[in-house]
Amino acid sequence: MARDKIYLEEIFPSPFMQLWLAFRKTPVAMVGFSCFLFLIVLAIFGPLLAPHSPVEGQLDMLLLPPAWHIDGNVSYLLGTDELGRDMLSRLMYGTSLTFGLSFIVVIISLVIGVIIGSLSALTSGLKSSFLNHFLDVILSIPSLLLAIIIVAILGPGIANTVWAVVLVLIPQFIHITRYAVKEESRKGYVLASKLDGASPFRILYYSIFPNITDRIMGQATLAQSAAILDIATLGFLGLGAQIPLPEWGATLANGLDLFYIAPWTVYLPGLAILFSVVATNLVGEGIRHALKLRKEH
Amino acid sequence: MIYLKFITTILLSLLLLTACNEEGKLSLSERSVIYCAEGSPETFNPQLVTSGTTIDATSNQLYDRLIAYQGDKNTLSSALAESWHVTHDGKKITFYLRKNVAFHHTDYFTPSRLLTADDVIFSFKRIIDTEHPYHLVSGGNYPFFQSVSFSDLIDEIEKINDHTIRFHLSHADNSFLANLATDFAVILSAEYAEQLAKQKAKSNIDTHPIGTGPFKLKEYRVGSLIRFYRHERYWQEPAQIEQLVFDITPSNTGRLTKLLANECDVTAYPIAHEKIIQREDLSLEAVTALNVGYFGFNVKKAPFDNKLVRQAISYAINKKTLLDTVYQGKAEMANSLLPKTSWAFDESILEQEFNPILAKSLLTQAGYSDGFTMDLWAMPIQRPYNPNAITMAKLIQSDLKKIDIKVNIISYEWNTFLKRLKLGEHQSFLLGWSADNPDPDNFFTPILSCSATQTGSNTTFWCNQEYDAIIKKALQTTNINQRKKYYAQAMAILTQAVPLIPIAHSKRYQARGNNVIGNILTPFGGINFYHVAKRKLTSKKTVVKQNPQRRKNNIINTGVN
Amino acid sequence: MLVFTLRRLSLFMFTMLLLTLLSFSLNFLFPGEAIINLSGAINATPSQLIELNEAYQTHRNFFWQYMTYLSHIINGDLGLSMASQSDISTEIVNLLPATIELSLVALLIAMLVGIPLGFIAAIKHNKLTDNLILSVSMLGYSVPVFWLGLLAILAFSINLGWFPSAGQISLLFEIELVTGIQFIDILLSDSPYKWQAFSDATAHIILPACVIAVAPATIFIRLARTSMIEVLETNYIRAASAKGLTFQQIIFRHAIRNALIRIIRHVGLQFANLVTIAMVTEVIFSWPGIGRWLIESIYQRDYTAIQSGLLVLSCFIFIVHILTDFIYAALNPLARGIKYGA
Repeated sequence: MARDKIYLEEIFPSPFMQLWLAFRKTPVAMVGFSCFLFLIVLAIFGPLLAPHSPVEGQLDMLLLPPAWHIDGNVSYLLGTDELGRDMLSRLMYGTSLTFGLSFIVVIISLVIGVIIGSLSALTSGLKSSFLNHFLDVILSIPSLLLAIIIVAILGPGIANTVWAVVLVLIPQFIHITRYAVKEESRKGYVLASKLDGASPFRILYYSIFPNITDRIMGQATLAQSAAILDIATLGFLGLGAQIPLPEWGATLANGLDLFYIAPWTVYLPGLAILFSVVATNLVGEGIRHALKLRKEH
Repeated sequence: MIYLKFITTILLSLLLLTACNEEGKLSLSERSVIYCAEGSPETFNPQLVTSGTTIDATSNQLYDRLIAYQGDKNTLSSALAESWHVTHDGKKITFYLRKNVAFHHTDYFTPSRLLTADDVIFSFKRIIDTEHPYHLVSGGNYPFFQSVSFSDLIDEIEKINDHTIRFHLSHADNSFLANLATDFAVILSAEYAEQLAKQKAKSNIDTHPIGTGPFKLKEYRVGSLIRFYRHERYWQEPAQIEQLVFDITPSNTGRLTKLLANECDVTAYPIAHEKIIQREDLSLEAVTALNVGYFGFNVKKAPFDNKLVRQAISYAINKKTLLDTVYQGKAEMANSLLPKTSWAFDESILEQEFNPILAKSLLTQAGYSDGFTMDLWAMPIQRPYNPNAITMAKLIQSDLKKIDIKVNIISYEWNTFLKRLKLGEHQSFLLGWSADNPDPDNFFTPILSCSATQTGSNTTFWCNQEYDAIIKKALQTTNINQRKKYYAQAMAILTQAVPLIPIAHSKRYQARGNNVIGNILTPFGGINFYHVAKRKLTSKKTVVKQNPQRRKNNIINTGVN
Repeated sequence: MLVFTLRRLSLFMFTMLLLTLLSFSLNFLFPGEAIINLSGAINATPSQLIELNEAYQTHRNFFWQYMTYLSHIINGDLGLSMASQSDISTEIVNLLPATIELSLVALLIAMLVGIPLGFIAAIKHNKLTDNLILSVSMLGYSVPVFWLGLLAILAFSINLGWFPSAGQISLLFEIELVTGIQFIDILLSDSPYKWQAFSDATAHIILPACVIAVAPATIFIRLARTSMIEVLETNYIRAASAKGLTFQQIIFRHAIRNALIRIIRHVGLQFANLVTIAMVTEVIFSWPGIGRWLIESIYQRDYTAIQSGLLVLSCFIFIVHILTDFIYAALNPLARGIKYGA
């Protein structure tokens, strides 16, 4: 431990690097992180790697059980559905839809939310109070309900689902950014640069942002797991991705009629959702744990 | 630790509650049947609709007809009319009503008299008399009766005395009695109608039904449930169950789940048949509904104007594979237009032979030794008589490839498909027919008669004077055996001319718990809960013992047996 | 307490204003004519339309239209359902209690299971039990509720046959709708099968309520764990243990009460979350509640039903919010001074 301290004094790592260094120390979080990376790779390259088409079925290969089952077929590793579509390929394509889209959704809402949040943190008075109340109202409505409302307005479909979830997540980012910025502004180092005559935007950019990234990251993982669940739930309810898109929730809903004769069509998409949410949550836990460790130092 | 005690107490009391539940509830559930239905009825009057869901919920449960079908061959038997008499010319039909028929006594109506001729006259006048005060209530559409031109056929309905009525027909029509026995021709209460007219609530006659059937309506919650009570003063023995509940569950999985969890005693149109067959406490039953799925030719277009080509194709198609794949073995192979359940079915008609070699030689004979290219129109949607026409077309394509015929599969959106079919733009097509009533004429005339080429229901455009003459004669005789002979002749003509290849008569499925006994499915596809009873199930094992044969083959075919 | 009440009341008014404004503007955002969306009268004849336009004052400006809309709502007129043409307020009055009943039972289960588990985890802080409870809770809030519901039906209704899979009560029991809350209705009814009906209803509610309870329970585990850990680190606990109280005495007499107070504050927030989970669960368990009705309305594009359903549901959630705030304030005088949202 003593050697570490010497290094820290020579090159002082950014808050982000500090977070990573602390994060690396929890093995469970690292497992989650590698699963998360695996999912990202699958989301990007899944369509290239998938052995079969997710939409076109093989009519002589209907309802094939997974390969480890006695009637299974190795070329259809996870079995097929009622139209002879390969479940593995459907799940791989589904990764880009459910997981990949949720990742994009989080990034979009993060950017918008952070911008609005930090701007609002610089304002005060009536405007700020109104925003505060407004956010409280919005945040008190659960995210899924809000997403359902927005889809109800826009009409069902995957694109509308994405916008709905983006709109739902933005207030959460506004809230956390605003809170974090306000908290940091009260600290001495901000005051120091203020006294140096730095403009509010300069302070925001150079002093505050690097110190709140970790918290926003923590929020982003929470948002990501909520986004996966929301997209999948909307897909399941038939309000999100429409057939024949292999979105996980929609695939699961499609398997519903086969639940009792081909249970793998329901088990597998559910497991996929569970796996990706757990991976995301593990990363989030790791970040929060690392933050706590850093605070305790 | 107080906390733990608290939890244990709650759990224990819950257990106790469930325990006494098991003992007590049986008495109530033993006297009741829950049926998982696939949808809500549009109305409670079957005169107004043709939808199967509505008929299922109303016709046999709430009402009776003058006459009814009985037995496997659907012969006519007495119902509300004790007996009937047809004059020699077939134009006057007299019905003698039963004198002990009581109407339902419900929360909204108390009948003061038994069934009389007035009720019968009211029920039919409402349909045929456009001036009748009730004719336009609920829209004034009586689709079934309009399709058989009921108002043209009936000149007059005469009341001879309180229990005798006479129908005067404009011409003899053999299907008239059959039509009176359909699920649509129910008898309503004239007294109830009078009462409603006084209350200025005429439309209640179709929403708050009063009939003479084995059950009366107790409660209806739209989209949720229909509750029937037993009609205690039913003119036959009262039904054995006291309560009949239709649990409206449109979701296929929902119905299956309720069945598997024993929340439904009987369920309509079950999915996952394998799962039901596996279960020892459940059974799956089927009845061949009166329908036919077929592969038709446009005989006005070459090469199908040549009888030999049509015959060749009929030999080249492997119907067995079509049945196994498209209907997943859930249908009966069609040897002719008529299903086996029809009384006019001719046992002597043989199964169509699958013989590609003979087919090829017939083609050569017709001058197409090198084969040809044809269009096959496949209907885009799922119908009971053909659950997947596109798949069927693909299978036919591969069959015909073997005799060098190349098939292009064409499909349009359903309404466009029908429209263009009527215009005769097709070469060949996959379609089907569901009968409205069990009279055999309902198959022969609409699908293949010359007049039907004009109305557009005969899209083969095949018109054969001999065939037409035979089916007309069949309608005019009253002698059943003579009629049967005529229809056998008609079918023989069809087997020779092959304007279409009948493929399958599909079945209607139903699943139930083994503790529910008695027939529910009627031979031509409706349901009737009058004969149902429940027996106590002590354990699953005893069931296995009681029915060793049933276990082997869980599918009971009520229709054919 | 007066200032606190006034503050909450103003917040409530503000929220109601915002929510009604939102649901009012939805009528213009939805496809179709606003007046039809508002009233649900899809089959209206021209003369009826004129009457409707008069009733909703469409010729006046937006503000007055909104005011008339508000007066319609206050009079309990939410229009007709476009799909079934039945009165929406009666439908909601029939359906909302079923959802409340289910959510309350689920909340109870979540609290009864989650809070003690959280306390145990805190007491065994950083030991195996703690980690085990934490891992299970992580699984609990990661699992998609619709999947969990299906698995529960498969396991408990079909394979084990312990609980029914659908509905609120066996349809054989005729229970008259009085309050809409099934258990109360059963007790009020004069059915000879009252107690059987009661136990049947109990059996029906257990499975969906447990499925709904899973996610909130895991939140309660974490809340209870954190608050217990904090309480255990406080000086008064140290003082108590210095006095020589046994560990059990410390936990049951001092720690639990203080830890519980901190949790109650979050119950309101969790309830909102729970109602959303209940909406999805209602679909799976065919529970005749407002969530299933709302989702079906979305399928049928029944805009009148959607906007009224949303309004009622969010109002309900917000009222619960404020109620728990009051309870918290009543139990913990310190909280009364804190500004909302600060």
